Amino acid sequence: MMNRFNHLPTLKIDTSDKIPFTYKGKTYYGTKGDTIATALYANGVRIYARSLKYHRPRGLYSMDGECSNTMMEVNGIPNVRTETTFLKPGMVVKEQNVKGSAENDFLGFIDKMDWAMPAGFYYDTMHKPAKIWPVAMKQIRKAAGIGKLSPDHHMPGKYDEIFPTCDVCVIGGGPAGMTAALAAAQKGLRVILMEARPWLGGHFEYRTSEYIDRQTHHERAVQLAKEVEKTENIRLFTHTANVGAYNNNLITGFQIGKESDVFTERYIEIRANSVVVATGCIERPLLFENNERPGVMQAGCALRLANTYGMLPGKTAVFSIGHDLGLETAVSLHDLGMSVPVIADIREDGQDPALLKAVLDRKITILKGWVATEAHGGKQVKKVTVKSVDATVSKTYDCDVLVASAGFTPLTGPLVVNQAKLTYDNHTNFFLPTDLPKKMYAAGRLLGFENAKSIEASGHLAGLKAAYGCENCSIADLGEAKKAMENLPGPARGTKLVTAPVKGRKTFICFDEDTSIKNIKQSIDKGFDVPELIKRFSGAGLGPGQGGIPGHNLPLFTAKYQALPDIKIRPTTVRPPLVPTLIATYAGTNHTMFKRTPMDEMQRKDGGIFRNIGVWQRARYFSKDFTCKAEIENVRNNVGMLDGSTLGKFRIHGPDALNALQRVYVSDLSKIKEGRVKYTAMCNDDGCVIDDGVVVKLGENDYYFSTSTGRAGQTIEWIRYHTRYDNWNFALVNLTDAMGVINLSGPNARKVLEKVVDIDVSNEGFGFSEYKEFTIADTIPVKAMRLGFVGELSYELHVPASYMKTLWLMLNEAGKEFKIQNFGVEAQNVLRMEKCHVILGQESEQRTNLLDIGMGFLWSRKKTGYKTVGVAALAQAENDNTRLKLVGLKMENNGRAPKDGALIVDDRVRGHVCTARNSFSLNEAVGMALVEGDMSKIGTRLAFYEDECKGELIYGTVVETPFYDPEGKRMKM
Amino acid sequence: MALTITCPICGKRNGYEFRYGGEEKGPRPDEKDLTPESWCDYVHMNKCVAGVQQEWWFHRDGCGSWFTIFRDTTTNLEKETPEAKE
Repeated sequence: MMNRFNHLPTLKIDTSDKIPFTYKGKTYYGTKGDTIATALYANGVRIYARSLKYHRPRGLYSMDGECSNTMMEVNGIPNVRTETTFLKPGMVVKEQNVKGSAENDFLGFIDKMDWAMPAGFYYDTMHKPAKIWPVAMKQIRKAAGIGKLSPDHHMPGKYDEIFPTCDVCVIGGGPAGMTAALAAAQKGLRVILMEARPWLGGHFEYRTSEYIDRQTHHERAVQLAKEVEKTENIRLFTHTANVGAYNNNLITGFQIGKESDVFTERYIEIRANSVVVATGCIERPLLFENNERPGVMQAGCALRLANTYGMLPGKTAVFSIGHDLGLETAVSLHDLGMSVPVIADIREDGQDPALLKAVLDRKITILKGWVATEAHGGKQVKKVTVKSVDATVSKTYDCDVLVASAGFTPLTGPLVVNQAKLTYDNHTNFFLPTDLPKKMYAAGRLLGFENAKSIEASGHLAGLKAAYGCENCSIADLGEAKKAMENLPGPARGTKLVTAPVKGRKTFICFDEDTSIKNIKQSIDKGFDVPELIKRFSGAGLGPGQGGIPGHNLPLFTAKYQALPDIKIRPTTVRPPLVPTLIATYAGTNHTMFKRTPMDEMQRKDGGIFRNIGVWQRARYFSKDFTCKAEIENVRNNVGMLDGSTLGKFRIHGPDALNALQRVYVSDLSKIKEGRVKYTAMCNDDGCVIDDGVVVKLGENDYYFSTSTGRAGQTIEWIRYHTRYDNWNFALVNLTDAMGVINLSGPNARKVLEKVVDIDVSNEGFGFSEYKEFTIADTIPVKAMRLGFVGELSYELHVPASYMKTLWLMLNEAGKEFKIQNFGVEAQNVLRMEKCHVILGQESEQRTNLLDIGMGFLWSRKKTGYKTVGVAALAQAENDNTRLKLVGLKMENNGRAPKDGALIVDDRVRGHVCTARNSFSLNEAVGMALVEGDMSKIGTRLAFYEDECKGELIYGTVVETPFYDPEGKRMKM
Repeated sequence: MALTITCPICGKRNGYEFRYGGEEKGPRPDEKDLTPESWCDYVHMNKCVAGVQQEWWFHRDGCGSWFTIFRDTTTNLEKETPEAKE
């Protein structure tokens, strides 16, 4: 393992802390602060992966994850960008897309087969004969894969999400981003600053060169970072990549958690008033033969390997660069002990004089107007040929590292995904945003500034513009900031595209998809002459790096190859996610949320088996006998108790309360008497029945009503929607969670209730369909209704949720001698089915109207003037005999009940079973079904087709309803 | 969801909090002389404007009120005032 520096101020590693990890089955040691890729590099690994198509060896290139070169399988997760993923103890790292190893890949020979695979090779060759497709596809998939995920892979870690808001969101924590954040924060605004790397500082952070007055760039970065960190109204998110930007300034990203964080990754969605984009630049790759050979790397990568991770990239480095950061890197690496035989600078002039002097002081040869044309060496760089740009003179140098970087590429992603347009700028050679989105501002290096002061000043100005966007900055302040900019150097001149004068067979414009210059030429020659088409035909930019490598070069090269006088060609469209994001991060935490009724705990103690029903969890059974025989028989013979707290419960009062009810309920509610319960239903505008429940008149203009469990959430919205033009005066309160409901049912129900209450509960004192209010023990206020959903003598007791437990215990105690038992939702379902009482959603579906389920009697045809929702459609549907009808059914020859949802068929589908059960009360199988009108006559034979019945139908007959106690004596007794 | 909606009571909020209630079509028609066709038109026919339209929203996760806004359906941005169709 190589010796690591430990004296540099810029280091982010702790050399005293060794971290073990496994690579190819062997244990290696990295250093605290290493990424996986730098730890491997320190252990001598140079070939990280093989390329997608040609299986070419690939190495560390950019350090910011713009290409798939260093993607590996880590802890079973494929395609991990090891250059940006930090090393953790015990990580298991494997190569991917290799046969053998990355070092010796048996498929490496494919590299020599490139002549057989020109651009568009799949489209051209793979259509005939069609028969070979399945075979060919399998083989191609095997050879060209990037990582495999095991089908039973379980994603480890905790994933979270937050949705913060702020006045100003700054994307990018470099010098421009930090000054922008500080400028906005000083105006008193709430600022969010997000930075993709784990620390602030951007390209200042890792540079030891002079910023101003002997202060280094690194020291300046630290100074700014400290200021940011101590500013209370800046909320800082480091290690947070920006993923998307949308209109109304919605900014999305994800944060990678530190060891101390409770999350592995978390999704962040920021709603900002103004946004500053200060994402800076990445480097534009230099195009030459074998430009992705391991050993070739960008300047920033080489410099950060040394300054951030404390190791030299190699022994001898040749430079072929086009910007001052390249010169600075050469000087820095030389001073750290690397041999730098030559710098080929694409630029004829324009270098920073101080840097030039530093280079010459160190006796490094600098060739201005020269460029690398070919890297030599089988698996790693051993030699490099450099030529003058006009290709007249050529030299060859031995080296083990080739630092190659053509220029800079602005990271305009957040602007572009938010609909900014890009235009080519001749001075910077950048595609720069024009027509910035509303309240979105750009700053810093991405605008072409290279001077440190200018970068900061542009950040300051953008911060003030953002504050101005929040109406928090004066025009005078803005003017001052603009003036300050004028006295500083403007955007720097960028390097034009220079390509080595070679055929470009192995000059790769896109590493991920192995797209060479030759492939681009082939595409253009075939007529695919704009980047968007070339991209799709040749694959350039379609890989995991999403255009990070070819994004800038492709339009430049396209324009150059076609000799366009003016670059009007636009780069390919950038789309979110700007950075690959784990599905687990989007999924976030477990979203299984449900409500518990006040009786939840007690019912669980009693052995309740719970199921999710709508937003609630309810006790469905109280034994493992899912037919619920005991529960059902106890209700029929003794008395049972059901937790009905999930019922929707509402109070409506005010001068127009009745009007509002008349609008949504099909019955005429003006006739309800106080003390009586009215059962009624709501329809939608198509007459389809959506809800049923009871309405009670509490007093003048004061009503209490219940809805079904599923509709409770929408009822207020529904009533207000349908009365939104009327300006009616009523107040509507949702009491669903405030009130609990106990349903006491069975022939002994009265005897139980009698023992608990003071009022007269005899059939004369409290008759069927009556409503009473009373208190129990002078304390518990009860709204009681006599209903008969399950077909027995039954009381529905509505009490405040906080008293539910008490009342439950009281009834249990009082009911002991009458054999009181819990019953669950399934028992209730069978009990009411025997009575043919419908449950909406079970006996109805979306298209079922009130008449179809035989509840037309609820509709008051005389009620006019209320514009009741649904009645116009009902009036029309009344004469329609093609609709499905709800019927009762009985199985033939004492057969078993069909499954719920079974189809009713003859030569086609004629209906379906809603609910059917083997009834213990009746000793036969009965149920309800929706069938076509002509099959609804009593005595019609029905054939049932069930899932997986293999053509074996079962049969039943349409019968009279209800099945149980047809006269309804039991519920009225 | 990038959409924001300005509730008359709660102010500008994330679109997540609201439920869409359809285009503004005016009050429910009178029951008198109502034909099935005109009723069906009122309930189901929409203009589907590519441009600014007035539409209903319900502040479901907020104050629970129904109100209308003007929204440009091509940009998904709210407009403060209705604009003439281009």
